[in-house]
Amino acid sequence: MSDATANGIAATAAERKPRRDIGIGRRYAAERRFKAYGIIAIAIGLAFLVMLLTSIISKGYTAFWQTEIKVPITFTEKVLGTPEQAVKSQTKLLMANYPQLARDGLVQLLGISADDKKAVSAANGLISSGTRVTLRDMVMNDLSIIGTTEDVWLYASSELDSAMKGQYDLSVPENRRPISDLQLEYIDKLKSQGAIEERFNWGLFTFGASSRAETAGLGVAIIGSFYMMLIVLALALPIGVAASIYLEEFAPKNKFTDLIEVNINNLAAVPSIVFGLLGLAVFINWFGLPRSAPLVGGLVLTLMTLPTIIIATRAALRAVPPSIRWAALGLGASRTQTIFHHVLPLAAPGILTGTIIGLAQALGETAPLLLIGMVAFVADYPATPMEPATALPVQIYMWANEAERAFVERTSGAIIILLAFLAIMNLTAIFLRRRFERRW
Amino acid sequence: MMENIQATLNRGPAVQAAKPIKMKTKDVTVHYGAKQALNGVTLNIPENQVTALIGPSGCGKSTYLRCLNRMNDTIDIAKVGGEILLDGEDVYDPDIDVVELRARVGMVFQKPNPFPKSIFDNVAYGPKIHGLARSKQELDEIVHTSLRRAGLYKEVHDRLDEPGTGLSGGQQQRLCIARAIAVSPEVILMDEPCSALDPIATATVEELIDELRENYTIVIVTHSMQQAARVSQLTAMFHLGDLAEVGPTEKMFSNPDDKRTQDYITGRFG
Ligand SMILES: Nc1ncnc2c1ncn2[C@@H]1O[C@H](COP(=O)(O)OP(=O)(O)OP(=O)(O)O)[C@@H](O)[C@H]1O
Ligand SMILES: [Mg+2]
Repeated sequence: MSDATANGIAATAAERKPRRDIGIGRRYAAERRFKAYGIIAIAIGLAFLVMLLTSIISKGYTAFWQTEIKVPITFTEKVLGTPEQAVKSQTKLLMANYPQLARDGLVQLLGISADDKKAVSAANGLISSGTRVTLRDMVMNDLSIIGTTEDVWLYASSELDSAMKGQYDLSVPENRRPISDLQLEYIDKLKSQGAIEERFNWGLFTFGASSRAETAGLGVAIIGSFYMMLIVLALALPIGVAASIYLEEFAPKNKFTDLIEVNINNLAAVPSIVFGLLGLAVFINWFGLPRSAPLVGGLVLTLMTLPTIIIATRAALRAVPPSIRWAALGLGASRTQTIFHHVLPLAAPGILTGTIIGLAQALGETAPLLLIGMVAFVADYPATPMEPATALPVQIYMWANEAERAFVERTSGAIIILLAFLAIMNLTAIFLRRRFERRW
Repeated sequence: MMENIQATLNRGPAVQAAKPIKMKTKDVTVHYGAKQALNGVTLNIPENQVTALIGPSGCGKSTYLRCLNRMNDTIDIAKVGGEILLDGEDVYDPDIDVVELRARVGMVFQKPNPFPKSIFDNVAYGPKIHGLARSKQELDEIVHTSLRRAGLYKEVHDRLDEPGTGLSGGQQQRLCIARAIAVSPEVILMDEPCSALDPIATATVEELIDELRENYTIVIVTHSMQQAARVSQLTAMFHLGDLAEVGPTEKMFSNPDDKRTQDYITGRFG
């Protein structure tokens, strides 16, 4: 088809006047070929992206739902002691056997005889032992609850959760799968009673580390990452912008500034794990800052992000047309006035974009954090950046090492959350650029 | 071409009363790195007159112009030698601040370069940084008079808060002139101010330059012989970094002494 047109052109041209062949047909063919290569390249890239996203989302979306069971809990004095005792001493309340309350409730709900040890233990396997905290908090918050009976939504165990989500192959023999036939029977019974439900898994965002999948969450990691981003933003942005302005606008051009320039560009290419080693040696061993602390992580990531921000800022400053500087200088503005009144505002969108991209890089960085000990089992929220925490990508790394089925979906779920954060940051960068970019 | 210029000259008033000297350069040299761009230029710039700098491309006109308000300072590799006097004071004197100098010697560039801000802010910027207005009303006053002087007021008075970059090329150039005169300079330097403008806009700017002469001393670089003839009273011809000849515009275009000037204005080179 394309050959035909090329020949057609050649034919009409030949009729009119014999012309020198300047290879028009070849040039068009080359252009078409090049376009085809481009489209193929983009298609391959897109295919990989789609594959990656489908695999992650299909594995991970279930992590955002968690099975819960509605169990009538009787807060008996037999287990908890009387409210009067509780007022005097909280020790008993703290140490009380809450799982027993949950077990008794479930046994009653399923109508199992309390003496049937096997049945009771099968039923008990359906609820998370994390219920201890849920029930304890209920009682501690309101002592008057003691002696009453109340329907409470309890987290199901990860086995029940996985079974509900159809993640187990039920055709294998009973002893080779994590959930027994008896338990499956109970699940059907609970379903028919409407006492079992998949609910949105807020815990994924709020819980800290836990060895039980159903009570493991990204809370600590999100806070840790948030602290680190704050530190990176607070340090890298002003330092980077100041350094760029100095280098770009004030520094004399000589061997020394050339050397600095080369070093900054090299620094941007240094593998991140090296920054981790540096952080370990300098911030932890030398300055004596605590291990696993977001403060140290933030400092290391600042070092890593600085070159990115400096390079982006310098490019943005250089992109401001010199005529704007001349205009201001020609009016008698000082160099500082010229920079702060005219150059910096025009460079701001570029600087912001660079900063956000730097932050996004830092948010996804794992290797240096492993070295400074942010791979810790941290169950409690860090109140300050000096207390131990983890980070989002590190949490993903840790969960990816767990074998349990429920952790597999959580790993993908956490990746989805991380990707969502990154996408939001990049969209913000694009938005800021569109919004503030001025044409002249 | 020659007749054309003659006609223009004959139409204009033959103002040649001796004027006091506003700026004076003695043996000014400029080096860009190892390359010498000006080889000792000695020139007197009379007050309240328009001095035109002409000469083939690359001969150092812009370089010379930039010496007068020390804009060459902003070029790292530029080294300026010789003496440049403004009202008898050396502009490189440590007592003279470059900021103050540039407020006294304003500049309009070849390509219109308004700030990407509103028309009002463009004109108000200079007065603001130099503290020329004590109140909002004073600032308004300065902006309005400057725009009026630059012959732009009528066209923009109802849209002062629109961006200056949204104006037409000719309007932008007049905005830049308004911006320059808003700081009440004594001298205005113009580097080919009309090279990006159409004939009508050029005519407007030329009229404007003629009017501004009453209050300001103007130095203009131009490639148009007609323009030099129309607006200037004194013409300086540059050639390869040298000042080839300087004299009253009338004489320069009718009866130049220097062979190079002759060749240039008759279009034999450049
Ligand atoms: N910033 C600079 N760096 C290095 N060399 C420069 C610079 N500016 C000018 N020159 C050199 O100095 C010489 C004079 O340049 P200048 O710009 O003054 O010429 P001009 O007379 O204004 O020319 P035109 O009419 O084309 O504007 C030229 O040879 C030019 O290459
Ligand atoms: Mg020039």
